[in-house]
Amino acid sequence: MTGNWGGIKYRRSAATIARALPWIGCTLLVVALGATAFLVNNYWLHVITSIYMYAIVALALNVIVGYAGYHAFGNSVFFGIGAYTVGVAMNLGLPFTATLPVAIAAPALAAAVLGWPFLRLKGHYFAIATLALNMAMLDLIINVGGVTGGAAGLPLPLSKMSPEVLYRMIYFVMLGSMILATGVLFWLSRSRLGYALRALRDSELGAEVMGINTTRAKIAAWTISAALTGLAGGIWAYWITFLEPSSAFDIGISVKGYIMMLMGGMGTVAGPLLGSAFLETFATLIWGEFPKIHFLILGVLIIVVVMVIPEGIIYYVRRLVGVEK
Amino acid sequence: MDVLCAEGIGIEFGGVIALSDVEFKVSRGEVVGLIGPNGAGKTTMLNVISGISRPSEGRLLFCGAEITGWSPHKIAKLGVARTFQIVQSFTHMTVRENVAVGAMFAGSKAISRSEALDLAEHALQRVGLSGKGGKAPRQLTLSDRKRLELARAIAMEPQLLLLDEVMAGLNHSEIDAVIDLIRQLNASGLTILMVEHVMKAIMAVCHRIIVLQFGHKIADEAPEKVVSDPKVISAYLGDRFAKRHRAHNVATECPP
Repeated sequence: MTGNWGGIKYRRSAATIARALPWIGCTLLVVALGATAFLVNNYWLHVITSIYMYAIVALALNVIVGYAGYHAFGNSVFFGIGAYTVGVAMNLGLPFTATLPVAIAAPALAAAVLGWPFLRLKGHYFAIATLALNMAMLDLIINVGGVTGGAAGLPLPLSKMSPEVLYRMIYFVMLGSMILATGVLFWLSRSRLGYALRALRDSELGAEVMGINTTRAKIAAWTISAALTGLAGGIWAYWITFLEPSSAFDIGISVKGYIMMLMGGMGTVAGPLLGSAFLETFATLIWGEFPKIHFLILGVLIIVVVMVIPEGIIYYVRRLVGVEK
Repeated sequence: MDVLCAEGIGIEFGGVIALSDVEFKVSRGEVVGLIGPNGAGKTTMLNVISGISRPSEGRLLFCGAEITGWSPHKIAKLGVARTFQIVQSFTHMTVRENVAVGAMFAGSKAISRSEALDLAEHALQRVGLSGKGGKAPRQLTLSDRKRLELARAIAMEPQLLLLDEVMAGLNHSEIDAVIDLIRQLNASGLTILMVEHVMKAIMAVCHRIIVLQFGHKIADEAPEKVVSDPKVISAYLGDRFAKRHRAHNVATECPP
């Protein structure tokens, strides 16, 4: 009898441990990533920081592309808006940490306002419109001049911190933001909004007649996406300390984020994280080894990944671990 | 009490008049059939009621309140559910999740994910899909996909259910099963407006039949009257159906 009781107790505590396991794993991973900042040299510190940055961009894209099914190729526009928000605000005298909420709010507001006309467009029309938006913003910054610095670029106030400390601070802010973005995606994956977006991705008509306000859901998705992308752009601005319109509004940023999202696994939480870690590490290694043909090798890699594992790396990781979904 | 009241509904698509001055009522607890030849405007009528198409003329009242020009999600929340002829399932969700969406968003109050999934399981049981909740919609047979459309609609706990050809493509025994299902739903208090070509089903479940032709209403009467209405016979049913129906009735009324 007592043995039986003990058995149940044991099984229950085993289940508790099994449920806590992912959380314990995540905590250990975060601690390890934090410790990494003090173990690697400056070169790898830079590489890992940019992994985090692209992870945020890819996670943010995943909200509008992976969940809502709207292909926002030009999402880099929010990266640029975030970057310029921090640039302008810091030049006006705000400290870096105080500018970050603005770097989240400004692009979010832009997406909320522009979302209403833009998200009426479907398929490639929406994709092209977002590209055009990015180009329009680029020209706007150049021509407005004034506080944005225009075509001459915008230098940010230099930090009083030593580079050693500053780059580690940036590393931790980027890491924290990536954790925040992951949390947002995790919430989305189980929220009502997540269901609404997945439903309208498959059939907008079906979703509407089942009571989903698809217009509002799509705008919410793009707003979240813009807020996270803007945050990444804002931190990046302080990291490089000199803004040029063409590098802040670089379509390459969203294209790279797109590839990482596809590679890792679209519509999942961990996919964009895996994709950015994999592609950025791989690209860095190629960069060092084959300076003349690194784009060629990168291109071939992308084609191979998209053709051989269209579901993304996450699919194979899941199969390996045995949690098939 | 009228659940639905259509007054002088007219709609035009680039010069083509799809519906013109269509007027009818659906009372609580009724099953009303909507029949007519291809292109008569049956699906357009359902689209107008569910808010997908905005009528250029006329008014639409739901339980006495005007809903003309409302967006589909508002009308859905109000208590109108529908199925589509071409099933609109969410292909990347499981069957259970598909149904849960209806429970989650159509109700007036927000419910949690687990509550919605429980309600979904209940709706799946009602349509005879219990045990298939974990499958993907594309793994279902056509007949089960039609049941899924029904489950999605009833999970919304509507007051009015619009059915667009739920029998199309089903075999005889499957049609009989869906007829039973519609009867059960109606018995539980649901008002139904159904577009259908399978006359056997229409005759079996409808209290009243509305006939459309070229966007005009040409009949609105009891099933027995509709099948002997010369206008309906010449527009849609045809002489062969009328003869067969008469012979069938004579046979059942005076057994040898």
